[in-house]
Amino acid sequence: MILAMNGEQALVAASPKPTDVRKLTQEVWGTFLGEHGPLEVGTDLGFAPDWSASVSVKGEWNGVVALEMTTSGAQRLTRSMLGLETSEELVDGDLVDAIGEMVNMIGGNVKGLVRGPCRLSLPLVAAGRFAHGSGQREVVRLGCTWAAEPLAITVHAGRPAKSLTTRPLEAR
Amino acid sequence: MHALIIDDSRAMRLILRRILAGLGFGATEAANGREALDLLEVGLHPDLCLVDWNMPVMDGYDFVSEVRKVREWRDITLMMVTTESEHAQIVKALAAGAHEYVIKPFTAEAIADKLELLGLVQDGALA
Repeated sequence: MILAMNGEQALVAASPKPTDVRKLTQEVWGTFLGEHGPLEVGTDLGFAPDWSASVSVKGEWNGVVALEMTTSGAQRLTRSMLGLETSEELVDGDLVDAIGEMVNMIGGNVKGLVRGPCRLSLPLVAAGRFAHGSGQREVVRLGCTWAAEPLAITVHAGRPAKSLTTRPLEAR
Repeated sequence: MHALIIDDSRAMRLILRRILAGLGFGATEAANGREALDLLEVGLHPDLCLVDWNMPVMDGYDFVSEVRKVREWRDITLMMVTTESEHAQIVKALAAGAHEYVIKPFTAEAIADKLELLGLVQDGALA
């Protein structure tokens, strides 16, 4: 018996699986931040993020990978990556750089999980919660704790870019 | 030995600089391919360039392609250090003239192993 998938099911089927995203996220985190404790996945503390960083993947698969953190979590991550003491002052640019690079590494590896050629965007870092596009749905959400700080990794998927219909500019 | 680290992330440049220092390299940093080309054009001649792929202004692929056009820079070893893990991307970078390819996240040992393969460090240099 052949069962046809609807658009929603096809979107989920083509997207990275939570177990794979969990594995690669722990690998990325462990490589650069492992000495400050493991990334524990499976918690969902319902925290209010102060920072969100995201990268888009566009091509055969279309989606956004996002990392949400509190300010204290982002500061801890930044100090760990830069090898700074707690007494050393951080500016917002340091946090933007560090969490942007983390989501870039996670997103780049998520891109490696999907079929077909895709392009990875530069990281986008913003204050507050991540806002996904209206045509996208959440396919992975990992609630995590690292060094007693809550954070979340999400993957949102949308229709592949090639399936979007666009009118020529002169016809508008 | 001297390396030019090209990455738009200051955190990543610092991580690479620390690893390279442990291997006996001095290092200069650039935040994108254009900045790196400017440094080469004014006379910097590193033994090694560590090149990220996704960067603003000029990406790593274009940087590698530009460097390979210049005869005087042909002895510079180019190693991509990037999140781009697709086989096609790796082949594209190597075809453009990169000598080696490291996928982020990487360990200090992985960088040392690649540099050893390239003959730029001795076996066990990291220890």
